[in-house]
Amino acid sequence: MFKLERHTDISRKTSGLIVFLSLLLAFFVTGIIFYLLNVDVIQFYLIICNVFITPALLLQVVFRSIPIILASLGLVVAFRMGFWNIGAEGQIYMGMIAATGMVILHVFYGAIPASLMLVVMGAVSFLAGGAWCLVPASLKVRLGVNEVLTTLMLNYIAMLLVDYLVYGPWRDPEGWGFALSIPFPDYATLTFGGHPSMAGIIISIAVATLVYVLFKYTKLGFMLSVLGKSGEVAKYAGIPVGRVTLLGSLISGGIAGLGGLYVVSGMIGRLRPRISPGYGYTAIIVAMLAQLNPWLILPAGIFFGGLLTAGDALQSSLRLPFSVITVFQSIIFLCIILAEFFRRYRVVLKR
Amino acid sequence: MFKYASDMDNGRKISRREFLGVTKTATIGGIIAAGIAGGAAGYLARMPEIKEVTKTVTITPPPAKLMPTKVGYVYVGPVGDYGWSYGHDRGRKWADERFKNIESSYIESVPEPEVTPAIESLVAKGCELIITTSFGFMDATAEAAEKYPDKYFVHISGYRSGAAGNASQNMSAAFAEFYQLYYLCGLAAGAVTQTGVIGYVGAYPIPEVVRHINAYVLGAQYAYKKRTGKNIKAHVTWLFSWVAPEQARLAASALIDEKNCDVLNYTEDTPAVLMVAEEYQKKNMKVWSFSHYSDMREYGPTAHLTGPVANWGPIYLDFYRMVATKTWQSVDIWARVGDYMPWRWKQLVEKSTAGKEEGTVYLAPINPVIPDDYVSLIKKRYEEMKEYLFEPFTVEGHDPDGKEPIRDQDGNVRIGFGERADRNALWSMDWLVEYIEEPLPK
Repeated sequence: MFKLERHTDISRKTSGLIVFLSLLLAFFVTGIIFYLLNVDVIQFYLIICNVFITPALLLQVVFRSIPIILASLGLVVAFRMGFWNIGAEGQIYMGMIAATGMVILHVFYGAIPASLMLVVMGAVSFLAGGAWCLVPASLKVRLGVNEVLTTLMLNYIAMLLVDYLVYGPWRDPEGWGFALSIPFPDYATLTFGGHPSMAGIIISIAVATLVYVLFKYTKLGFMLSVLGKSGEVAKYAGIPVGRVTLLGSLISGGIAGLGGLYVVSGMIGRLRPRISPGYGYTAIIVAMLAQLNPWLILPAGIFFGGLLTAGDALQSSLRLPFSVITVFQSIIFLCIILAEFFRRYRVVLKR
Repeated sequence: MFKYASDMDNGRKISRREFLGVTKTATIGGIIAAGIAGGAAGYLARMPEIKEVTKTVTITPPPAKLMPTKVGYVYVGPVGDYGWSYGHDRGRKWADERFKNIESSYIESVPEPEVTPAIESLVAKGCELIITTSFGFMDATAEAAEKYPDKYFVHISGYRSGAAGNASQNMSAAFAEFYQLYYLCGLAAGAVTQTGVIGYVGAYPIPEVVRHINAYVLGAQYAYKKRTGKNIKAHVTWLFSWVAPEQARLAASALIDEKNCDVLNYTEDTPAVLMVAEEYQKKNMKVWSFSHYSDMREYGPTAHLTGPVANWGPIYLDFYRMVATKTWQSVDIWARVGDYMPWRWKQLVEKSTAGKEEGTVYLAPINPVIPDDYVSLIKKRYEEMKEYLFEPFTVEGHDPDGKEPIRDQDGNVRIGFGERADRNALWSMDWLVEYIEEPLPK
């Protein structure tokens, strides 16, 4: 008879191995499904691998993974302190609004010197994303409102706010009435070495370092971790739970807000309605896959960006529909859940 | 049988975490079982396909100059959406069928921020012509055109092209324009409405949709005033989405039940509104609607009056030819009634092609329930439109007596005697005609 035993302690190495095996399993299961559907499986794997080894493609992979990576890094902070922030999507939108607001302030009112634009846009989009996350955090602290619901609902409000702005006061006067903001000038465009990906990856590495330092070396990080393990313990230890929750969620939302800055300033160059294809939600899967480790977020996010890029190639070369990538992502997700189970329990054969 | 050691040891109740664990076990079991079953089914289904074929083939290598031209399309939605992207894919197939030496491929469901990687991957595949079919792809397409001067780019529904002077010369813009057809739908609406109130379910308050609404209401006013001597009343509901069948259904029902509308037109990429009208017809209420972008009669055989239909094929075929014969020229195409039609001149009403497939924009079949006089009127106007002898945004299009200028909701005269809305006025229209009750959201 089989018996499940709970792991009390599991080494980081084993846990990493389990996740790695689950990814292999996902590749294998997907391969079987596509083989049965008469897809050239070897070609399928080659296209996916090719994405990660061709420099030009890798640059595109990074290009589309940055918003996911930044939102995930924000979620790491929130999830580690036990704050279930589902609102990265809305925080991304608030970051976009803040960045665009600065461009409009500059172009129409000459408010900010051009050389400082990117710095100011970064600071303001961080604050806007953070403020958006502070709303559910303070509702939780003051009134005990469940943050899963409030963060999720605020996503739609942020989206509608963007709608209002681009259809209303922020509509480009030279845009023939279409819903779009004015284009961002060059000095408000996020690039490094001529490519937004490079700027994005530098920001991501910096943010990952900061998140790592926060949890490894600072008192705040320690308090956040304790809070995440048990709210009761945190209270008995004399940690100001309310203030720490607010501070943690400010950081969490702020990092997602930077993702929004990258989307409007690096990827599109304007504000447009409903532009995020769900970066904030994909970020949740990525944060889980990386097991809330800020360093692992980078490869995990790039892996997901790579799947999207491979999706383009699969469609144009193998003429597979886009759903192929959705199927693949779902299988990966199921395998991660499977890994989570094996991380918690051990199967023991018992007589 | 699975047992939880920790439960046995502590003897405590099952916590949420353990419960989730059990659920996961069940889920995983289910997945594995489903996987095995699915695999077996798939294998069995595949069996008959394995057969040996012996064929003698004479191979003649194609001459080198006939290498196929590669064309790549970027779609914003899935091709199975029965709306916008589906329409473009139909156009692609139409053009491919006629131009044999083309190898086209597409990438669907591309989110707006990620269009650049999609274009890059088509370039990497060797595509010479790249067609992006969503307004939000405009800037990225212009940037790609700048970056790859030896490739050709066509953007659908935007305003940047080499011809317009705001993009490089290897980029063109194209659109299939509907305002004339919406006016003809309006004539049909004015001819059949019993309540004198018509409705419109709009996607977004952008000029494209605004001019379609105005054209529809102007047509209805013309026919209704001619028929009864009274003014038409119109209601508009905005969805803030191109694809929202559920919201569209609710909006349509509200327009019928609360606002007393009995003819509904719409800009939404599914047949939802037409289906609502058909449901009311089944309940013996005379409610009418239209096709949108493709012939949708099957979704409302009784309620369907006519409707604007687009075939993007001729436009694409035109660009195929330009690229394959190296005769590219940057253009801004705004295809209207008459364009790309084999015979683009006015014909007698009896010989009218209204309701038949031709060119890029044309009317869906006309329901004989519309009184004969008005069917003739629709046909007459359609024929005149082919030569621009008649334009909806004119005093003659608005008032059967030719006396009233077109006014907006504030009573300002927008189009007076002897005037016609030119392309710029149509392209940036930001006002609604006086018969519409709701203000334009700004």
